[in-house]
Amino acid sequence: MQAIILFGVLASTYLMVIAKRTPALIRYFRYQSFFLFLATFAVAIEERQIDLYIIAGLLFVIKVCAIPYFLNRIIKRMKVSEDLGLFVNAQLSLLCVLGFTYLSWVFAERILAPRNEAQAIMLAVAFFVVLAGMFLMVFRMTALAQIIGLLVMENGLFLLASTVSGGMPFFVEIAIFFDVFVSVIIMGFFVYRINKLFTHIDVNKLSRLKG
Amino acid sequence: MIKILIILLQLIFFIAVSPFISGVITKIKNNARMRKGQSVFQPYCNLVKLFSKGEVISETSSWIFKAAPFIVISSSLGAALLIPVFIFSGQTYYIGDFLALIFILALGRFFLALAALDTASAFGGMGSSREMFISSLVEPAACLVVFSVSLQFGSTNIASFSGMHPVSISSLVASFALFLVAIAETSRIPVDNQETHLELTMVHEAMVLEYSGKRLALIEMSSYIKQMIWFFLIAQIIFPIAVPCSINTAQIIPWCLWYLARIFMIAGAVALAEVSVAKMRLFRVADFLSFAFVLAIIATICAILGV
Amino acid sequence: MEHLNIDSLFLFDPLSAFFLCVIFLISLPSAVYSIGYLKGESSGLKTALAWFLLVLFLISMGLVVSVRNVFVFLIAWEIMSLVSYFLVVFDTKHEKSIQAGTIYIVMTHIGTAFLIAAFLIMFKYAHSFNFAAIKSACSLMPPQTRNIVFLFLLIGFGTKAGIVPLHIWLPYAHPQAPSHISSIMSGVMIKTAIYGIIRFVIFILGVNSSWWGVLILMLAVISCLVGVIYALMEHDIKKLLAYHSVENIGIILLGVGLAMLFISMNMPYLAVFSLIAGLYHLINHAIFKGLLFLCAGAVYKATETRDIEKLGGLIKKMPQTAVYFLLGAMAISALPPLNGFVSEWLTLQAFFLGAFSVEGGYRLFLGLCAAMLALTSGLAAACFVKAFGITFLAQPRSRYAQNAKEVSLSMRAGMFFLSFLIVVFGLAAAIIIKLLAKVASAATGINTSSMSFSLNNFILSPQAGKGVYLSTPLLAAVLATLGIAGFAIYKLVNREKAVIYKTWDCGYYKLDSRNEYTATAFSKPFRIAFSFFLLPYRKTQKIRESFYHVKSFAYETHTTMVFKKYIYEPILGLVFRSAKFMRKIQPGSIHLYLSYIFVTVLILIIFMRKF
Repeated sequence: MQAIILFGVLASTYLMVIAKRTPALIRYFRYQSFFLFLATFAVAIEERQIDLYIIAGLLFVIKVCAIPYFLNRIIKRMKVSEDLGLFVNAQLSLLCVLGFTYLSWVFAERILAPRNEAQAIMLAVAFFVVLAGMFLMVFRMTALAQIIGLLVMENGLFLLASTVSGGMPFFVEIAIFFDVFVSVIIMGFFVYRINKLFTHIDVNKLSRLKG
Repeated sequence: MIKILIILLQLIFFIAVSPFISGVITKIKNNARMRKGQSVFQPYCNLVKLFSKGEVISETSSWIFKAAPFIVISSSLGAALLIPVFIFSGQTYYIGDFLALIFILALGRFFLALAALDTASAFGGMGSSREMFISSLVEPAACLVVFSVSLQFGSTNIASFSGMHPVSISSLVASFALFLVAIAETSRIPVDNQETHLELTMVHEAMVLEYSGKRLALIEMSSYIKQMIWFFLIAQIIFPIAVPCSINTAQIIPWCLWYLARIFMIAGAVALAEVSVAKMRLFRVADFLSFAFVLAIIATICAILGV
Repeated sequence: MEHLNIDSLFLFDPLSAFFLCVIFLISLPSAVYSIGYLKGESSGLKTALAWFLLVLFLISMGLVVSVRNVFVFLIAWEIMSLVSYFLVVFDTKHEKSIQAGTIYIVMTHIGTAFLIAAFLIMFKYAHSFNFAAIKSACSLMPPQTRNIVFLFLLIGFGTKAGIVPLHIWLPYAHPQAPSHISSIMSGVMIKTAIYGIIRFVIFILGVNSSWWGVLILMLAVISCLVGVIYALMEHDIKKLLAYHSVENIGIILLGVGLAMLFISMNMPYLAVFSLIAGLYHLINHAIFKGLLFLCAGAVYKATETRDIEKLGGLIKKMPQTAVYFLLGAMAISALPPLNGFVSEWLTLQAFFLGAFSVEGGYRLFLGLCAAMLALTSGLAAACFVKAFGITFLAQPRSRYAQNAKEVSLSMRAGMFFLSFLIVVFGLAAAIIIKLLAKVASAATGINTSSMSFSLNNFILSPQAGKGVYLSTPLLAAVLATLGIAGFAIYKLVNREKAVIYKTWDCGYYKLDSRNEYTATAFSKPFRIAFSFFLLPYRKTQKIRESFYHVKSFAYETHTTMVFKKYIYEPILGLVFRSAKFMRKIQPGSIHLYLSYIFVTVLILIIFMRKF
């Protein structure tokens, strides 16, 4: 069961990296969050704690339903091109990301000193998701990709935290969820405004503003 | 009470003798120039004449011009008070020492320079500018001479300085440096010419150009007194003689004569120096005074080495 | 961080009490003065802001000299610097104020950076911020570390004090600040740096190498000479006074450096004596420099200009200010019987007395330093003859000076109080030396109960036994008596009234103020004598109508600002060039910035296994 979930997370991350259009990216982000929800739900059933149920629920509501819906709405309203500008093309991205997988495996194995095999795999996947989120932020041109990259990083950190310490304290989780939600709303608003002013959301072109 | 009387007597002696020294110098210079010249008592006649004349005061000047001669004479007399003449039991060394003497003379100079600027004439400004220039360059040499002398004698107190002590190379060199300093301070050739009438070559005379009558007499008096002070200091370093400490008439008269004899020797040296060289350009005076400074350094080194 | 309660926070030993005394002696008359000075200058709100900043400034300075905890010391130091920056740029109409403020804040923060470094090193050994703990830890430091800490402290405090070559902010900041602030800054703030040197180097660090004292003596002599030579060339009253502050800090440091030298040679009596001389000059300088700045402010307020070449004849229009300025000028030129004379005499005596007890090479060094001190006092007297003479005497040189009027009562009251203090500190020298002996013994930790800085009815004799005496009241009495006697004789002999007539004009009846001597002309001999250092140059410009007819001729003479041109401008040029070079890593692309973070994380992951 664990393995399937981890595999799902991994696969959806790969899919995100090779996506060429924004709605596809958002869809794969939705899958990743869904798998994360499944993992949390499984742990909640095992441990039988109310907190974990609530966190799982929040995860579902916010990350699987609310945020992708919100992002899709922005795209429809802005009527910009759905092309997700790629600095490196899809195949090269995939190669890079495979390299990152190996790197995070080595990192988890040697440095983070896991207790058992299962934890090692989970650590590796979590760390890889963080790196992939960063990759998305750096190598995609549009502002929406950067928002999603941030969200992916947050997913990865959530996974890391739940692996290493059995989840963060309850209130911290709640606070993080709210932060993420609010920051997505704000960033979405800003992307809308950028589009209104410059009629595009290509962040690369913002460097022309430099004095 | 006796002490105060003795102090007053010494002061009067100082005041009485100093114009005579100036007259002697002028006489020697004139003799060297193969002229008969003025009598040695001419400075007294000049002072009497000035005291009986009226004054003309410039309308642009203020109270500084009017007050300066009094401050100048008081500073010269104050410095003269510190010098032991024939008896040292006056204990005026409670007032100050060698260093204080130099600063007291600076007080008079400061006010004279201010008074010169007060008259709003270009001559006064020129005189005070040059005078302050020369006197500020004199200070390090004088200070270093005081330093080397006090290294030999143990302290800067003029009392320690007025005893008997052996003449060493250090004191000879120091006295030569002090001689050069005295030439600069008393406005003698080669630094300044007291006989010139050309304002562009004057230093001291240009400062007092606007003064007349009684105030001018006071200023002339104070410059004679300053000259005597410097000559005494040089004489005491070269030909040191113990100043008597008690009132013993048998000792006083020969001591006074010996005192005057030393001063006349120094005065003669100054007069001969005046006729032998020409007056220097102002900016060369800086070189002259730095030569005096170097001599003072040599005197200090000799004093340190104990030579 | 240990417990901070009031007892462990404040330290009121004699040294701190002395500095607090200095602070309040100078600030009170300046505050009274500012009532009249700020009237009508700016709106009510701005005046209230000025008062608020002044109070904050005084509180921070009081904190600096009295706390016992290094951390709070730094906080108070920083507040002091910031508040004085705001006070310097208070008059925001002039853009020179802004420039002056920028130079000031940059220099003072460079100094603070060095201070923080020194304090961190001390903290590392002591593990506590308390002075007492640091003092006991400093005795265990290895010699290299002690030397480094000493140098950092010297640079840090030297920037604030104005030691050459770190003095460059003084001639910019002091003229631009309002006059009462200049007087407090020049009189008190730079003295807190001297407090820092005494407290941290002598008291806490403990001196046991003689080269420290020698270094401070050399820096002090250089500061004296550089300060006074530049002051001679200046024709802005307040810039002139600012350069004189540099010179006088040099004189104070001569006393402090001598004290350090004697401590390292184990001569406690001489060490305390030199420190007394230094501290005496410190408070004297605070008083007369405060007074001079207040007078300069009065002149500025009355005539709207600070350029002395445009002034003249003010002694008739502002008689009281002239008297106060004259007293200040006499004090700073070390004329008897005022306070400047006593402290310079004491410093010279410290050199002379010290020379009896040290060995050969040091003797010559001390003698040369004493000679340089004599040179600076001669040059300072010359400079103040110029400053007072050209500003107040003779005839007005422009209509600024012609329209001058005496200033208001509050300003005069402030100036009067300080001139009164000048006379008191000069005449009461013997009593003050006794008090300062207590301060100096607390500062150096030497027990002076067996030493005598003795006095006999107002006579001070520093080394009873060697018998050097100075009695300022006697001296004043003697001079006064002789002057009055001269005046009495004059009056007795005088039969006729003096005739008031024009100045001798060689028969040319149209003398006016353009025939007077100018300040530039007054200082020309000095410019030529010191030209190896001042590097003067001239610029002339002729405008011709034809080959034979010159329509106008302009002549300018400047002195090169040596420190600015050869030290600071190359450093600034280097800083700007490297900043331009570094700009290339910031092209404005967000992706590039994010990739910096990304690459760093990757590199850390890859190379993590090595650690």
